[in-house]
Amino acid sequence: MHMADALLAPAVAATMYVASGTAAGISLHKLKKDDDPAKLPTMAVTAALVFAGQMINYTIPGTGSSGHMCGGMLLSALLGPQAGFLSMVVILTIQCLLFGDGGLMALGANIWNMAFYGCFVGYYLIWRPIMKSGLFKGMGAKGGQRAKILLAAVLGCVITLQLGAFSVVLETSLSGITELPFGAFVALMQPIHLAIGLIEGLVTAAVLLFVFESRPELLRDADTSDDKVSARMSLKATIAILAVIVLLVGGGLSLLASGNPDGLEWALFGNAEEGYAENMGLDEEKFGIESDAADTAASIQETTALLPDYAFPDSDSPAGTSVSGVVGSAVVAGVAVLICLAGGFFRKKKKA
Amino acid sequence: MNKMEKALHELSEMDELAAGASPIHRLCAPGKLLTTIAYIAVVLSFPKYDLSGLLVMLLYPVLLFQISGVSVGSFFYKLRIVLPLVMAVGLFNPFFDREILVTVGGLGVSGGVISMLTLMLKGVLCLMASYLLMATTPIDVLCAALRKFHVPGTLVTLLLLTYRYIGVMTEELATMTEAYHLRAPGQKGIHVSAWGSFLGQLLLRSMDRAEELYNSMLLRGYHEHFHYAPVKKCSLGDALCTFGCIAVFVLLRIWNVAELVGGLFVR
Amino acid sequence: MIEFQNVSFAYEKDRPVLRDLSFRIGDGEAVGLIGANGAGKSTVMKLLLGLIAPTEGSILVDGIRVEKKSLPEIRRKLGFVLQNSDNQMFMPTVYEDMIFAPLNYGLSREEAERRVDTALERLGMQELKHRHNHRISGGEKRMAAIATILAMEPEAVLMDEPSSALDPCNRRRVINIIRELPQTKLITSHDLDMILDTCERVILLSGGRIVADGPADVILRDKALLEAHRMELPFCLAGR
Repeated sequence: MHMADALLAPAVAATMYVASGTAAGISLHKLKKDDDPAKLPTMAVTAALVFAGQMINYTIPGTGSSGHMCGGMLLSALLGPQAGFLSMVVILTIQCLLFGDGGLMALGANIWNMAFYGCFVGYYLIWRPIMKSGLFKGMGAKGGQRAKILLAAVLGCVITLQLGAFSVVLETSLSGITELPFGAFVALMQPIHLAIGLIEGLVTAAVLLFVFESRPELLRDADTSDDKVSARMSLKATIAILAVIVLLVGGGLSLLASGNPDGLEWALFGNAEEGYAENMGLDEEKFGIESDAADTAASIQETTALLPDYAFPDSDSPAGTSVSGVVGSAVVAGVAVLICLAGGFFRKKKKA
Repeated sequence: MNKMEKALHELSEMDELAAGASPIHRLCAPGKLLTTIAYIAVVLSFPKYDLSGLLVMLLYPVLLFQISGVSVGSFFYKLRIVLPLVMAVGLFNPFFDREILVTVGGLGVSGGVISMLTLMLKGVLCLMASYLLMATTPIDVLCAALRKFHVPGTLVTLLLLTYRYIGVMTEELATMTEAYHLRAPGQKGIHVSAWGSFLGQLLLRSMDRAEELYNSMLLRGYHEHFHYAPVKKCSLGDALCTFGCIAVFVLLRIWNVAELVGGLFVR
Repeated sequence: MIEFQNVSFAYEKDRPVLRDLSFRIGDGEAVGLIGANGAGKSTVMKLLLGLIAPTEGSILVDGIRVEKKSLPEIRRKLGFVLQNSDNQMFMPTVYEDMIFAPLNYGLSREEAERRVDTALERLGMQELKHRHNHRISGGEKRMAAIATILAMEPEAVLMDEPSSALDPCNRRRVINIIRELPQTKLITSHDLDMILDTCERVILLSGGRIVADGPADVILRDKALLEAHRMELPFCLAGR
């Protein structure tokens, strides 16, 4: 879900920087007020762990493909929303700077889409209310806690990812980058991210449940009072049940998609997007729909026919498209080649 | 090589590049950061049909690649992440926007194709600029520059510490992944029965590590703030270079140089 | 320099880790602290550094009692080399790690720089100065960790397993470095050959008590004593 610089207009990028900067400022203030100097190393090590953890492939049962984890929910459940947010900020910054994932201008937007929703919305509106609620009372103290962790993690990941995906659409559309109508774009992004969110939620839940079993005091808002376990639902069983739900929902979604004209766009999108899908957390097998050239061509025709007479895009003067523009571009290319040659020449001279 | 080993490799490659000694490496970091941001902002501000104007902006990274001696190869490797998304979004433009804007040798080129190419070029240029920044500036020097721009110390410290431990954690996970696959041949990823414990185990160990790390800081007199590498003072030359570059970017944005130069030939 | 007076410690009540420990280490002495896993060696280190407080008894460093308000002063006198160098070296480069402590103790940058250079020179590893911590080998990392401690110019050096996970050559290098350090030294290790090479005195811990305290030459040759406490003779004395 990392946005690239090219997808943003400077004004949108700046707005998102301001929004994310404000959230970071508030978080820093809270951190300072708490005055817990030991927190900083913990945040750093956990952030580094999540960074590495994002690269783990988790096999999705029965599909042969694999999912990943993003980390916003995990971090805020372990460190609290503010520290979690700052840790995510740092992870995203390092990804942007050293791995070319996202971009310098898009960083503000990426922080908002992935860290803000995952940490603040995920914590205050989902994690804490669910953990403090009286849900699953019938399952005994520990069983209830487990069920709550599972519910909160899955729900949190799904909802925050939906918000993030929607923001990507909103930001790109506001930037006037794509000719794709807003509605169609939304219809493309949301279902994909529903599936991704479910899997991410399950992985996050599995990790949090493991922490809960071994060191419950590490979890925010978890009730650590040592009651005897009564209705114990094993981790494996819970994950299995949820996996079935995921498969059902996923299957339903793909049926829906193929029976719907939007599905064609989805196919096109999924195809062009193999790398993106992988980056987003799903391997191409799942969404890179296997279609040959003919299929693609057919779908392109249909797609475009479905949306005929699309209005001419708002008039930017087609200045650079005149003949002189073409010639000038060729000159620029020539100059670039010259620079390269000169560079090579000087370096050789230096070596000699 | 698994994914984590690749990441480690990428990390050390950036380190190596940044340790170079070209004139670009020697420029002061705050200036480089400002120039890069200005460059990206100018590139992004080009209208979607102004392909020829945007093309001129290519000269800046090309020049930088040549002066700094940074290899273009590893840059193209980094493109694999960003470009697919940009392309996915841009690919729709030719279908929705089919107005013919320019005819080259009897072949009509639609606005959608031009805006798609512009978008892709923007993607490549922006990534080039930030890649060049990082390939010529070590991260600790960049962090010191961030302090100069009044980015809060806590955040900068967190960035440095995290950067340090990303190497440690990634290595540890790479080893764990290898050990896992040695005992589970044929599995593509982590089996569902180990979803929680695989990362969970490491997480618990990391908490102990964080504690030891904090002790180690305390034992060396840590209280509240960190000390950063001394920042090289920005010379007059550095300042002139920065503002010169920014001025050129703005001029290139106002005047379409490609158009002007082309005009000389066509007329 | 270091004095333990009837120190006891327990994480949980009724399960003492250390029981009534008393010993003195004089200025410039080199002492090896040995014992099986769980004998309480690292607890002794933690107590001395003030990371945990004794349940009974008191600990003195240079005549100053280790307690909360004296901690900054005490810690300045003690340099602790951790077993895991990755946990010790938390800054991106060796240089930044080395200068961390001197700057924290309020030295000027020039003075701190001088100390860094002196320490590097002493260990003969100037070329490591600007290297990144995650890019140096395990042996270099251990050496750099020792250098960060020397840059503090402490009065006593504490080391936790300084020779662990090193190849023979690097192990020898570390041993030579330790031997040349003029400071008071307290070293915990299972590498008894190294202890024999570096320390003149040995304290043997077992079950949280001191079971032997005397010249290294005597204790490390006492096969019956060592084997009674889950240790064995150093290889060089085993005569195999």
